[in-house]
Amino acid sequence: MRRKLSLACAGAALALSTALSACGLGGADPATTAAPVSQIPELKADQQVSIVFESYNFGQAGAWTDTFNELITKFTAAHPNIKVTPQKPQGNSANPATDTVSSLQSQLATGNPPDVAQLGFSELDFTVNQLKAAPLDDLVGKDAVQKNFDGAKYPYAKTARGLGDWSGKTYGVPFVFSTPVLYYNAALFTAASLDPAKPPTTWAEVEQAASAIKAKTGKEGAYVDCLTKSAKDWCFQSIVRSNGGRVISEDRKTLSFADAPVVEAVTTMQGMVRSGAMPNRTQQQGTEGFARGDLGMIVESSALQGTFGKGLKENLRAAALPAFAGKPVVPTNSGASLFVFAKDQAKQRAGWELIKFLTSEEAYTVISTKIGYLPLRTELVNDPAGLKPWADKNPLIKPNLEQLARMEPWVSFPGDSYVQVRDGMMSAVENAVFQGADPKTTLQAKQDEVAKLIPGGGK
Amino acid sequence: MTATIEPTVHEDQVVDHPAAADEPVGHRGRGVVGHVVLAVLSLACLFPIYWLYATSLRAPEDVYSLSVLPWPLSLDNYADAFAKTDMVRMLVNTTVVAVLTALGQLLTGLLAAYAFAAWRFRFQKLLYLMFVGTWLVPFQVTMLPNYVLLSQLSLLNTLAGVIVPTLCSALGVLLLRQHLMGFPKELLEAARMDGRSSWGILWTVVVPTLRPVLAALGILLVITAWNEYFWPAMVLQRSNGMVQLGLRSFMGTEGNDWGPLMAAAGLTCLPIFLLYLVLQRHIVNAFVRSGLK
Repeated sequence: MRRKLSLACAGAALALSTALSACGLGGADPATTAAPVSQIPELKADQQVSIVFESYNFGQAGAWTDTFNELITKFTAAHPNIKVTPQKPQGNSANPATDTVSSLQSQLATGNPPDVAQLGFSELDFTVNQLKAAPLDDLVGKDAVQKNFDGAKYPYAKTARGLGDWSGKTYGVPFVFSTPVLYYNAALFTAASLDPAKPPTTWAEVEQAASAIKAKTGKEGAYVDCLTKSAKDWCFQSIVRSNGGRVISEDRKTLSFADAPVVEAVTTMQGMVRSGAMPNRTQQQGTEGFARGDLGMIVESSALQGTFGKGLKENLRAAALPAFAGKPVVPTNSGASLFVFAKDQAKQRAGWELIKFLTSEEAYTVISTKIGYLPLRTELVNDPAGLKPWADKNPLIKPNLEQLARMEPWVSFPGDSYVQVRDGMMSAVENAVFQGADPKTTLQAKQDEVAKLIPGGGK
Repeated sequence: MTATIEPTVHEDQVVDHPAAADEPVGHRGRGVVGHVVLAVLSLACLFPIYWLYATSLRAPEDVYSLSVLPWPLSLDNYADAFAKTDMVRMLVNTTVVAVLTALGQLLTGLLAAYAFAAWRFRFQKLLYLMFVGTWLVPFQVTMLPNYVLLSQLSLLNTLAGVIVPTLCSALGVLLLRQHLMGFPKELLEAARMDGRSSWGILWTVVVPTLRPVLAALGILLVITAWNEYFWPAMVLQRSNGMVQLGLRSFMGTEGNDWGPLMAAAGLTCLPIFLLYLVLQRHIVNAFVRSGLK
């Protein structure tokens, strides 16, 4: 079913991109070609404005839709002159979060894009340069943007503030994300004579613990959900960065995912599969196996913590991403920012008011307690009137918060073909780790193949 | 089809004609193999449906269990599905869309097929080929122009937006035209000589004769419209107005909510299962007539 959906989605995306390229959507770097945008005026008290807010959270029933509807209700109570119409991305993927860009493209083709949209960090380059998100610094002024980051009481985590920036301007306000967390099953640790209070801290220890779990319990050891095409590359970048490598150079002009540190990291992961410490599983098999209690450990986004908790209950534990021996761990982020696409000044202002509210202390308190997302205003977890009671009850959030403090950005690939580059790289990684292909030659061949999709040749 | 008939014939022979017990061992062996193959295929078809209902009836904490029998039984997943989505409204909306879509396709198909079969006119073959050609164009190709048109007509996020672009079906035109080509022309001539108008002939002569075909095609079109997912997912962004979208709302970035998803999917299948039970013969007939298996 998922495969059919994916195929249909790929077909739709291809058709869309073909049609849209014919329509001339997109273009050159906005930093060089966009007309200067004048600052938008404040709304008058009686000025009625209607805006559309598109978020993949509205595509998921239960806490996600309910919480966001609650936030919209609170926002309209505080801003009675602004009417917000929520909508989910259009498209037919099983996961609405993967439909965000194609949804925006088709709505742009009609001339009616949503006024505010939630889009992933992997799409940042495309969002700014092709979808033409409005630069918030130009709309409301740099000071206002930074003032929002500073907050009424608690500022954004320093590492999170610049994640939606492009060419020195803020385009998106980071909204929700996770860093890679090592979740483990305390019951399986105990059954394998391992101490659940001392989770593995290096990949070598992960392999040892996984082998022990497999030998003593008959269950599978550890699954790293960062090594397949369907996992995208957000936490693969974290593994690579933790071994001193990069998938693309710092100036984002040269691909480097066939360099020695990346090859070494992939070889380490391949070794875990070869030794039997990591089962050869798809992403879904891995996550559901862990939730079922058939897997000792999994490296995953905290977005799945609720799902794991339903299956494992008090046996679910969390630890930081393991390190390569002697090297510092460099966590990267998953997740999405909020962007303004409205062209009308009143709608732009209303959109900015909505973004300010959704990233406020009040909103993060609601979002974290009801959905479990990481509060980007991290000091909220120390406020007894804020998220402290919730954080005390949810110690699993601690590794994620600690990693947030030393996180580096998930880097998006440049150009219109960023998805093909990313998917090509992850297919090569998957091929090496799970199908036993030689990491060096596989990554090098793929890098040579997709380099031509990078503006400037990628070399 | 042959494979399903042959074993029945063999069984009858054994019961009615004891002499058949002497039939060559090879024949009986083939019959047994045929039955075994069919039994395995039946199980392969039925097991996913069984697993769907079994998962929906597990307690929420057992939803990842791999035990074949769901025990203890629980209706919590159904309660959860009803609590998180408006199942009744979605089922009603989907029924309305499926029935109106099928009726529209039947009507447009009937009128077009009548024109192609009962008259000779210029560019007739070309027009007919164009109808056939539309069957070869993937929906993804026409999706964006349709979407833009709906936006201009302000029909996005409405059930009408789901129905209107699908009101004409090439399948309906092709199937009905084939049947009408075999319709006795003398009957049409006689009706004309009796002074009936073309419109009158269609409704008083042609349609009553085609009733079984129209019924069979109608059922097929309802089922196709009921199963349609792609287009409603494009048009209905602001609500989960149809069950197909409601089902997807249990899947997402934060993992799949399998319990209520299976419960909702089970409920969604029921109307079509009931349709099959009541109209089994017509539905098989419809698939055979359309050449689909």
